[in-house]
Amino acid sequence: MKQPYGRFIDNSFLQTALACYALFWAVLAIHPVDRSDWFLENLLVFATASVLIPTYRKFQLSNLSYALILLFLALHAIGAHYTYAKVPIGFWLRDFLHLHRNHFDRLIHFAFGFLLVYPMRELFQRSAGAHETWAVWLAVAALAALSSFFEILEGIIAQVVRPDLGAAYLGTQGDIWDAQKDMTAAFLGAILTALLLTVRQHARR
Amino acid sequence: MSQQNKFIGALAALCAVIWVLAAIHPVDRQAWTLENLLLVLFVFALSLTHQRLHLSNASYIFIALFVILHTIGAHYTYAKMPVGLWAKDFLGFSRNHADRVAHFGFGFLLAFPVRELLLRVSGIRRGWSFWLPPAIILAISGFFEILESIVAETVAPGKGVEWLGGQGDEWDAQNDMLSALLGSLTMMAAVLLTNGKRKAR
Repeated sequence: MKQPYGRFIDNSFLQTALACYALFWAVLAIHPVDRSDWFLENLLVFATASVLIPTYRKFQLSNLSYALILLFLALHAIGAHYTYAKVPIGFWLRDFLHLHRNHFDRLIHFAFGFLLVYPMRELFQRSAGAHETWAVWLAVAALAALSSFFEILEGIIAQVVRPDLGAAYLGTQGDIWDAQKDMTAAFLGAILTALLLTVRQHARR
Repeated sequence: MSQQNKFIGALAALCAVIWVLAAIHPVDRQAWTLENLLLVLFVFALSLTHQRLHLSNASYIFIALFVILHTIGAHYTYAKMPVGLWAKDFLGFSRNHADRVAHFGFGFLLAFPVRELLLRVSGIRRGWSFWLPPAIILAISGFFEILESIVAETVAPGKGVEWLGGQGDEWDAQNDMLSALLGSLTMMAAVLLTNGKRKAR
């Protein structure tokens, strides 16, 4: 496959974006509210890095895709620092809008779908060979599946690995339908981006 | 009438007979109605699109098996399915696991037609065709759990997972989705092993 974006050493946009993220991540790694929870949340970051770094030479996404992924990971870093349930801006939102819980986690679930459909679509179109429209909706399905898979993992971690940490890690904040609402947020985010991409597709023709 | 249309007609007739039998005196009429809403929509959508989908006979057999499985489950509202109750007593389970089997069956039986459809119309390469069907199955399974939670809050507000669908399992949604995912992965492994030597399309 041809390399449309060249080597990492020549890609100053990606270097800058990565440096900004690394700095942001490092600052938030200092004295998180709960170190074990921070570590659990960061497994996601390590997993993402272990996929994207080794595949960079063989298959590169566009700079916009990498920027969206880094933006999502930056938002996640805030959540991980404060164990989500204690993110200050979520408390502020709760008081301002008279909500009954800190909704920062829902916001990040939404962002997961909203920000990551674009890179996923690019992967499906360029690597899997899917037609344009199919790539968009397969990306929605893939993000929905990942969101569901994440809830399954959360369930397993809460039940098996760290039952003592379960509630804090889960951040269900006492909501029995937490998993369903999280998935709904991710689904809606993904569908919104898919609709925007569809509008753009039609505008181009 | 083509050879395949006859075959699909026979499968549809078989499903219809079983469906009518199961529709007579179900254990719980309200639950039966709820369980059948999506099934009727699914079969209706299939009847409208099947001329364009060009699925194979094998796909239709898997779809028919799933329809039959769900029809029987809906008759007994899953929680009271005799074979599940027997397994519960015999193996000492805490609940009737018939619904988990049906979730597994959903993934196992429908991953095959989904893969076939993707290979025919979406343009994806063969290597990807083993991963995208489980993703679609899991996405639909997640969507189903969202619908289920909305139905539970509407039909039995405040009772949460104690209502029929959950049978008191706090992690019911996660376990259901896991079953569907494992079912679809099992089918994909079976397809990979049985036609692994065939050339890529």
